[in-house]
Formats: sequence, C-alpha cells, structure tokens
Amino acid sequence: MFEVIQNLGLGFSVALSPAVLFYAFVGCVIGTLVGVLPGVGPLAGISLLLPATFGMDATRAVVMLAGIYYGAMYGGSTTSILMRIPGEAASVMTCIDGYAMARKGRAGAALAIAGVGSYVAGTASVVGLMVMAPPLAAIALRFGPPEQLALLLLGLLVLAYMSSGSMLKALAMAALGLLLGTIGIDQMTGYMRFAYGVVELGDGLGVVPVAVGLFGVAEILATAGAPTPPAVVKPRLRELLPSRREWRDSAWPIARGSVLGFLIGILPGSAHIIASFVSYAVEKRLSRRPQEFGHGAVAGVAGPESANNAATSGAFVPMLALGVPSGPIPVVMLAALMVHGVAPGPLLIQNQPALFWGFIASMYVGNVMLLILNLPLVGVFVNILRVPYPYLYPAILVFSILGVYAVNSSVVDVWIMLIMGVLGYVLRKLDFETAPIVLGVVLAPLIELSLRQSLAMSDGRYSIFLEHKIAALLLAVGLVLVLLNMYTFARRGLDWRARIALAEKGEGS
Amino acid sequence: MMHRLACLALALLAAAVVTPVAAQDAYPNRPITMIVPFPPGGVADLTARPIATAMEKVLKSPVGVVNKQGAAGAVGMQSVAVAKPDGYTLLLALSSISIIPEADRLFNRPPAFTVDQFAPIALISADPTVLVVPADKPWKTAKEFIEDAKKRPGQISYSSSGIYGTLHMAMELLSQAADIKLRHVPHSGGGPALTAVLGGHVDALASGPSVVLPHIKGGKLRALAGWGDKRIAALPDVPTFKELGYPDAEFYIWAGLFAPKGTPEPVLAKLRATVREAVNDPEFKSAMDKLETPVTFKQGEEFQRFFDADAKRLAEGVRRVGRVEAK
Repeated sequence: MFEVIQNLGLGFSVALSPAVLFYAFVGCVIGTLVGVLPGVGPLAGISLLLPATFGMDATRAVVMLAGIYYGAMYGGSTTSILMRIPGEAASVMTCIDGYAMARKGRAGAALAIAGVGSYVAGTASVVGLMVMAPPLAAIALRFGPPEQLALLLLGLLVLAYMSSGSMLKALAMAALGLLLGTIGIDQMTGYMRFAYGVVELGDGLGVVPVAVGLFGVAEILATAGAPTPPAVVKPRLRELLPSRREWRDSAWPIARGSVLGFLIGILPGSAHIIASFVSYAVEKRLSRRPQEFGHGAVAGVAGPESANNAATSGAFVPMLALGVPSGPIPVVMLAALMVHGVAPGPLLIQNQPALFWGFIASMYVGNVMLLILNLPLVGVFVNILRVPYPYLYPAILVFSILGVYAVNSSVVDVWIMLIMGVLGYVLRKLDFETAPIVLGVVLAPLIELSLRQSLAMSDGRYSIFLEHKIAALLLAVGLVLVLLNMYTFARRGLDWRARIALAEKGEGS
Repeated sequence: MMHRLACLALALLAAAVVTPVAAQDAYPNRPITMIVPFPPGGVADLTARPIATAMEKVLKSPVGVVNKQGAAGAVGMQSVAVAKPDGYTLLLALSSISIIPEADRLFNRPPAFTVDQFAPIALISADPTVLVVPADKPWKTAKEFIEDAKKRPGQISYSSSGIYGTLHMAMELLSQAADIKLRHVPHSGGGPALTAVLGGHVDALASGPSVVLPHIKGGKLRALAGWGDKRIAALPDVPTFKELGYPDAEFYIWAGLFAPKGTPEPVLAKLRATVREAVNDPEFKSAMDKLETPVTFKQGEEFQRFFDADAKRLAEGVRRVGRVEAK
C-alpha cells in the first residue's frame, strides 16, 4: 500500500507539471467536442490527432489521447439527451431515457446525472486500474475465443431486457442487426459477403453511421414529418439540478455501472459500447419500476453513462500491463507509445514508472477537469433546446454528415447513414425500437469471429466450449437465465412488457 | 466584345499550351498527397509520416499524408491506381499490395487493382518476420518446432492478422518450405493475433520483430527463427530459416512508395532522388530507430526486382493456400 502511495506521488508530480496538465486539459476539451459532435467518436478523434502527438514526449501524448477517449464519454451524452442523437456509439442507450427525460423538462437533470455518473465511474475505475491492473490483465489474457463467445452469447440474452414494448419486435430488430453485421469480408475465408462490388463494404457496416442514422437522422425525419412541431422546451434554471429522488434513483445504477463497465472494458472488443448496453439491461432488470424505462427513467441514463466511462479505464488495463490492445482505440494509443520509442509490453510499468503513474494520476486530474468543464456547460447546452427546430435540425443533419464522412473520408459511410435514417424512420412509424439493431451490428462480427476461431482452434469440435472452464461456466449461467425466464413466463403468462404492448395497441386503434 | 472574347480564348489557349511544360519544369509546384491505405498508427502510417516530413525538406514543398483505409488496404490502393499519374498522388504500400489482387483472382472477383497499375519509386523498409511461441511451450528451437509439426500435422496452431494477410503468408511460406501442415486461426489484425499467442490460445505467430521484442525481453515469448536473409539485429542469437536449410521461407513486411503507372519519367526520377536523400535524414532515421524498424532502401531496377520476386512468391503462396472451403 505504501508503495502505491509513493508511486502515486511520483505520478501526481508528473501529472501536475504544467505541460502535462495542459495536454490533459486539451485532450479533455477535444474529447468533449468529439463526443458532442454526432458521428465523430473517440476513435476518429484519436486517429485524427495521433500525428499531432508525434512531436511531444510519450507521457504527454498518451495523457492527451486518453483524455480524448474518456472525455468523449462525457460529451457523448449531450446530444443523446437533448436531441436523441447519439454523439457517439456508446451513448445510444442514453438516447432512449435521456431524451424522454428532456421531453419532460428534465434535460438539465439528465445531463447533470450523466456528468456526475461519468465522474464517479471514471474515478472509481482508475482506482481499479491502479490497484489491480497486472492481475486483471492476466485474467483478460485467459479470455480466448471460446470464452469470448460464451460472454457474447450472454450479452445477446441482454437483448431481451432492452425493449419496453413487444419482445417479439425487439428480437426481430436484433436479428436484423445481426444480419446487417454479416456484411463485409468473411474474416475466416476472405469471401466478400453482400458487398455487391462496393470495395468499401468490405469492412462491413460501421457502427457509427448505423447509430447516427437510426437515431439521429430518423429523429430528424420523424420531427419533420410530424403534423405539429414538438413544443420548444424552455428550460428554467431551477430545473437544471436533479431532484432528491433522481439522485437516490441514480446512486446504485452509477455504482453498478462503474463496476460492470470496468470489468467489460478489460475484455476485447468495442467494450465501451457493449458496456452501456449491458448496464441498461441490468438496471432495467433490477429496477422496481421497469415500466418507467423508455419513458424517462433516470437509472437508464445513470447506468449506461457510468458504464461507458468505466469501460475506458478498463480498456487501458491490458494495454498498460501487457502491451496488448483490447480494442481499436488502444491499438492507436499503443502506436503513440511506439512512435516515441516506448516499447509497450509486460515490462512497461516497471521500466516507465513515470509514464505509467503519471498517466494514472492524469486520469484522476482529467476526470475532475471534465466534471468542472461539463457541469457548467449543462446550463449552456440545455439552451440549445430553445433554438427552433427548423434551424436546429438542418444544422444537426449537416454536422452528422460531416462527422460521419470525416471518420473514414468515405462517401459510402454517408450513404449508409442516410439509408439507415430512412430505415429507422420507417421502423419508428411501425413502432419498432432500433437500439437492438445497433447492438446486433456491434455483436454480430464479434460473435461470428469468436465462434469460428474457437472451432478453428479445436479442429471443428464443439466440445471446446466445455473443455474451457470459464466458457463452460458462462454458458451455464446463460442457460440458467434462459430457464428462469421461461419459468416466469410460463407461470405468469403475460409479463409487464406484453401488458404495455397490449395497452398501447388499445390506445392506437 | 468579339475582341475581348478572342483575347480570352487566346489567353486560355496560351495557358493550356504553357502550363504543362511549366508544371513539369517546376515539379512539384503544389502539395503532394501521400495515401496510406491503413488507419493511423499502423506500420504504414508510422513509416509514411516521417518519410513525408523528410521529403518535404528535400522538395521544399508540402507532402501531406492521408489515411484512406478500408478492406485491408484495397480501398486506398485502388484510389491511387486510378489517380491521375502526375506525381501529386503517391501511395505508401505494404507487402499486401501484391496479395490483394491475387486473392481477388482466387475468388473470381474483378480485382480492385493490379500490381502493374503502379510504378515503384523506392523501398523504404523491409522487416523480416520472426517466429515466436509462448515461453511455456516445449519447442526451444525452430528444428524442434518443425519436427513436432511433422509428427502432428495440423495440430500446432498459429494466429495471424487475417486470412491472406501478411502474417498468414509468412507462415504459409514456411509451411511450404518445410513441408509441414499447421492450423491457421485468423484474427482481426496484428494486435489480437499477438494477444492470442500471449494468452496461449494458439501455439505460434509470425510477427514483425518490433512488436514482439518487448515480450521476448519480458520472458513471455520465445523467438525461434527469422524469415530474413540476415539475422535480425535486435535478435542476434535467433537463426534464419535460410541458415536452417529452408531458403524458400523468405518473407518481409516491407513498406514502399509507389506512383500510379504512367507518371512521367522525369517526375519519377525526381521522386527517387528525393526519397534517397530523405532516408538519410537524421530525423527520419531516429523515427525509424524508435520503431525498431531498420531502413532498407532500394530504388529503380533493384526495387523492381525485389518487388517482382516478392510478388511472385506471395502470389504462389496465395494460390497454394487456395480457397478455404467448408469442411
């Protein structure tokens, strides 16, 4: 323990030096911006700014890039809550209840909760990273393809809890998402699937254009198509702060989201996105008032927003402790280290204590900066709602197109976004929820690859899933969950979801 | 009125006649774009940026790096293949430039591009891959590894950056040279492939030396042999497959600069001279040293020969792998 404090002292001496402090601040500001702008997410932001870090020293470079990553998680909630447009893919779940809260005049409260939740999760997960990085990284390494598949299948079960209406419709959307996720080069054989000669489709549908299209563009179309424009919500100052009850309702979701996000973050894949989905489902499952989800439940904002933030720290665990990436963002950050001659590997913490502990300390500092930066901004951002829709929405559409194009300089991505926008509009008119599609698109390539890698490892024997103990355990948990649900389903007949669906049907006709 | 129009027409005509000559004399008279067909942070990107900076100094004219990623590099390579051959659009490509068209051919797809659509300018680096295994695996030498693989065909597994990817082809060339059969588990990039071998989920990996060096030094991985024609400077005790009697197991992850075919010869000559000077720039050298990637400069005929031989080896490799059919 003494050693940790001593090391942390070293870390803070690095992190609080004016230059490092400055770059942490720059990173946090840029992160907030790429989070707020629809389309441009942390991966694009970090990739675009990587070359700018080549002239700095290694510590400043990683401190700034990390600031962009977790800063984006703070900013991402803003447009989700105010306009139902995900600022980046990990804020898709926030769109649902955050926007519902905004429509009720609780936009300020939702933004404040998201900010505080992000802060708590960010700080708590840095503690986790600091104290447990090496042992956790060792566990993460044991997650090979079979374990990953088992975990991802568990993640799919989560889908069942995501809908607030008909289960059948939610599953249909998830299936559509999984199908869309099969577009692109088959990673195991090299076949092009459903690309129709478009080389750009080789990488499949990006989650960014899909999410921005299904939520943002669809929302704009729906508003434009409404007979009367939605009333402009004029926020009043005293409504900016969350009420006592909202604080109480978010305390546990923030705590659970922090732990969940951190643990999921360690594992490979686009962890911050998956973590937010899982957290939403868990909160809904544990809530005493699940029927509120989808209609402005504060837990549906607090949980996912905390989880995506904690996942960013989790993603640094294998990167710093072992020098291996857990997803596309750590890959870019590892490159930033290599450019400066810092070899990422198992000896990094030992050989570069100033860098490692400076990095850790800068994350504590960065989270405080983001909180100070974001809470006052709540008052500014909610005023966006005062802008009349005829001006606001075209501007957002322009930003979305620019953002999506900027990520890969690809017009194909813009088309994907627009097509998804139309699809999302049609689905909304038919009362389908689109969040499961996004989850499907994220999970499908991961599930497929891990299944086929597992089978390649075992020469085609499915018994590999039972031989690997962690995988077998996870699959057993999934099986129990399914059985439990079938039991309740058989006993109660209709659960609350079906009742709501029926009630809505009654209203509609 | 007529007079003015005539003047304008004359002026335009004069401009049309004069400009190309002037442009050729003064190449480059506007910024050059260097396309990197991979995302920022990859080998290609990390080579392109310092060489572009060094070329800027020599040419005294801006050289901008643009990442145009997608479909394992095919998107960016295709864009350069069809770009105007005026010397203002260049491509920094890796070995995969020779693999992609061959894989397209394998699947009877219209190829996104072919290698003869490019005019090679210069080779900048050529890093031989190295065979690594987890430190707790029994094989201490490449000989033991190959003998074991002969005893248990298809039982020893390896990860790669993706099917027909560079790391896959390296292993495939070894398999052919040593007449062994290994089990391929493709991953989605070099990072995940490294994680797989570190976690012991596969038995081996062919990798560029720089990314595995820290893990070899940290005692997690053991290097058995290299694919180069010389030993790797940072691993002087690790033999090459050539020394071990497998001369066909030769493979490099190389980075080279290309222009679209049809670029005028004076422009190509100027570019070659520029790169020759740029690779000796001390800042460029120190950037490559930090990446632990030695500079291997070849140009003109020499690069063309290297490129052709490499492309032939890889094309044969791809054909030997063939299509992966469902079992």
